[in-house]
Amino acid sequence: MPTSQNPGSAEPGTPSLKVSAGKDQIHQLVVEACTVLNGILLGKETQVKLALACLFARGHLLIEDLPGMGKTLLSHALARVLGLTYNRIQFTSDVLPSDIIGATIFDKNSGEFHFVEGPLFAQLVLADEINRATPKSQSALLEAMEERQVSSDGTTRRLPEPFFVIATQNPSTQAGTFPLPESQLDRFLMRIELGYPEPAAERELLMSGDRRAQLSDLPVVIDLPALKTIQEAVDAIKVSEPLIDYVQRLVGFSRQGTEFAFGLSPRGALALLQSAKSWALLHGRTHVVPEDIQAVLPSTVEHRLRESADFAGHSGGALAQRLLASVDVVA
Amino acid sequence: MTARSIGVAHQIPRNSLALLMIAQVVVVLPLAPYISPWIVGVCLFCGYWRTQVYRGRWGYPASWVKTFLVAAAVAGIALSGFQSFSLEAATSLLVVAFALKLVEMKNRRDAYLVIYLSYFLIATGFLFDQSMAVTAYELAASVVVTAAMVGMNQLQTRVRPVASLRVAGTLVLQALPLTLVIFLLFPRIAPLWSIPVPSAATTGLSDTLTPGDIASLGRSDELAFRVIFDGDPPRQSELYWRGLVYSDFVYGTWALAAPLDALPRDSLDAESESASLSYEIFLEPTQSKWLFSLDTPRQYPDRVDLLGDYRLENPEPVMSVMRYKVISDPELSTDPVLDPAIRERESRLENPNDNIRLQAYARDLYERAGSVEAMVYAMMAHIREEPYSYTLNPPTLARYDSIDEFWFDTRRGFCSHYAGAMVYALRSVGVPARMVGGYQGGEINPVTGHMVVRQYDAHAWVEVWIEGKGWQRFDPTAAVAPARVEDGLNAALSSEDRETLSFLSATRMESENVLADALRFFDSLEYRWNLWVVGYDVDTQANVLKKLFGEVTPSRIGVALVLGGAVSLAMVVLGLFFWRKPASSHPSERVFSRFCAAMSRHGIKRLPGETPVVFLERIAEEKNIDVGILPELVQRALYDPIGSQQRSARMNLKKELRKLRFRLALG
Repeated sequence: MPTSQNPGSAEPGTPSLKVSAGKDQIHQLVVEACTVLNGILLGKETQVKLALACLFARGHLLIEDLPGMGKTLLSHALARVLGLTYNRIQFTSDVLPSDIIGATIFDKNSGEFHFVEGPLFAQLVLADEINRATPKSQSALLEAMEERQVSSDGTTRRLPEPFFVIATQNPSTQAGTFPLPESQLDRFLMRIELGYPEPAAERELLMSGDRRAQLSDLPVVIDLPALKTIQEAVDAIKVSEPLIDYVQRLVGFSRQGTEFAFGLSPRGALALLQSAKSWALLHGRTHVVPEDIQAVLPSTVEHRLRESADFAGHSGGALAQRLLASVDVVA
Repeated sequence: MTARSIGVAHQIPRNSLALLMIAQVVVVLPLAPYISPWIVGVCLFCGYWRTQVYRGRWGYPASWVKTFLVAAAVAGIALSGFQSFSLEAATSLLVVAFALKLVEMKNRRDAYLVIYLSYFLIATGFLFDQSMAVTAYELAASVVVTAAMVGMNQLQTRVRPVASLRVAGTLVLQALPLTLVIFLLFPRIAPLWSIPVPSAATTGLSDTLTPGDIASLGRSDELAFRVIFDGDPPRQSELYWRGLVYSDFVYGTWALAAPLDALPRDSLDAESESASLSYEIFLEPTQSKWLFSLDTPRQYPDRVDLLGDYRLENPEPVMSVMRYKVISDPELSTDPVLDPAIRERESRLENPNDNIRLQAYARDLYERAGSVEAMVYAMMAHIREEPYSYTLNPPTLARYDSIDEFWFDTRRGFCSHYAGAMVYALRSVGVPARMVGGYQGGEINPVTGHMVVRQYDAHAWVEVWIEGKGWQRFDPTAAVAPARVEDGLNAALSSEDRETLSFLSATRMESENVLADALRFFDSLEYRWNLWVVGYDVDTQANVLKKLFGEVTPSRIGVALVLGGAVSLAMVVLGLFFWRKPASSHPSERVFSRFCAAMSRHGIKRLPGETPVVFLERIAEEKNIDVGILPELVQRALYDPIGSQQRSARMNLKKELRKLRFRLALG
């Protein structure tokens, strides 16, 4: 299969490591899921793996790219492959919180009030073009992401388990957008960009036609119990002390460097470590190696960083590369 | 200018203000003993005022208040009873100005002025005291003042006094090498104007002596001087440090007579080289001109004079620790032929009607004894046999007939009582005799081997001129308390006397004591400090420069200063460069780091972001070599949670890395 190189989220130097001997069922499942997803979204192996890693780490995913790059396709395919109930919310500037959460409605026949669940009540929610919504609606969604429950009319309702949000976002430079503030961006474990496909992959796409039709035929590769097992396996991945030191050096560098407007928060450090664990699992390892951290670092920290010189944007890409290049892996 | 008109940019940061307040206390504290107490009060009040201004309770002083305060302070100092233009008066004025400036300190410019004044006050402290403790204290004070300056330049959002202090400490440490170079090499130019010296009297011998004086010195354990002998020091009973010769006795008080002319230099040096004692003295400030030496100085520094009564005199009062070398010849006979003027001076009685009983007793004794020496021995025997006693607390004597009263009635006294009585008796029969004041004995500090002479070693004894022998030393105290001369003051004192001594001097005199050991250790430090730092004067510097450069020319000194400065700055720079990299805490990581350092010498440098495995693969590619299982080994030893705890994994890695280096070295 042709490998893709994407300028936004390159996967730096994955070594040709042999997969450890205890290559068990989990790894087989994961590899199979990857294969199925790659058959739908052509030439985006890295992004597919990152998206899976994000979900395995119980994180929410933010996909930022231009319209028509396959954002919706990826999220829909993920829902199918993981066998999750799927809802899509198309955000516009007039979407209200009740449009997302649901509302209490008076039933004329029974003479009672009923809560009608909004589109948020699904295991995987695609929040499309989240930055087109007003801050009020954005925050309603983001509260739900953090608490995994919603409150309406004095009643607290639990959201389905598992609960994932995949939000897509147009680059904030486009007209009619409300950029997410730092505090809300922080809720997303990862932010990825899809990018244009490679010519070969695009050719294949053009030759075989639209992939949307194939979505309904996709098999469920990882069912709910399997997903739970995988998530627990991620938590059980070990991290040795030299790697904790490395993460601390990375975080420390971001806090001291003058080009960083602000440093990474402890939540950012945890997110980095959790993603690296998930990445290690995807590669069949029982422990994290520095390559795992470097592979997930751009996706997990870019949206949490801002350059001192850049007051408006979230241009963390250069900063993430700087972290990778400047911070010593081995002290 | 009102407080409101000051922009935020010119405000003094809170952190710096607090440090400035602390700095004020720290720099004024060492000066406090030398200035009037009310000035300390002014300082405290000004500090309080400035704090209230900071809290917004009080305002800055109006200009008429400031004018009034300055006038009042100057008047107050004028009325404080300092000598005009004395060092104390000038320092008081400086401290008051410093305190008042603090109150009107509004913006950064004022704060910088206060900071520079603080540095100046630190320098002022050295005019009064240059001991090691004070130097250490002033060094710490300079750190605090520097921290205030660092605080001025910190961001308002990061108020961290401890961080400022740490930065300041580093700055002061970095300045030390350059300080050392300048201390050693910078030319010590004699001041163009005279520096006023502190006028406060210190303890020590004075130019008049009443019998009670030395007893009061016996209660002081202050340092008189330190001595280092070339070779073994003489016995305790030979250590008579001559300093003053009292030739006049007026109603109960011995006094120095008009100074005799200096003896021509080398007049004694020509004589025998037989037994000579060579030693160097570090004299603590006495505010007086006299110097101490053993009998009889044959060689002494060029600037110092040897007067006709064989005592050394400095051309000006000793104001800081003075260091001088003397060679003495104990065998040398002085004045074998006595000059008639000196004979007249040393045998006259100013008040022939005073102490008549002793005069009669002396005449009778001289007739019976027949010779001067026999008379001296008879008096000593009298002291020994009759119930005389040696005490630090003798009864008070009347002004008139004081010696009669002591010799015949009270019979309790200190060294000066016995020496005075003997001199008086000898003079009443026309024999030249004089009282000599100085110190007797000394304690060897085992740490550095130098001798310490303290105020309680103060002593008075007798010199008698004997036909054909010249001046002879007799010590009547040896008759009443032989232990005083043999073993020092402590041995000679009765237990009740000892109780009157302060706690510190009592412990100091007991040799088997932890505290005494510690005191001896600090004394040895202070001795080295005097030897190397305080005693580093123009002459020593000239010697050092001569040794370093051969001929001393201004251009050579200039070049040396520039080179020394460059080297010391380079040391600081290199220190910063190498200190930066902290060693890793993980042993396997250290193993791999060493391998990387070795590889960078081979021309392959690991980039910071390069993981061990990627680096090994690059080596394999660039050097075309098989790295085998090394990538797995390194992952195991560093990153496997179990493997990273195992010594075997580390040893394996170490072995394989060494093999790889060996193969690379072979090419």
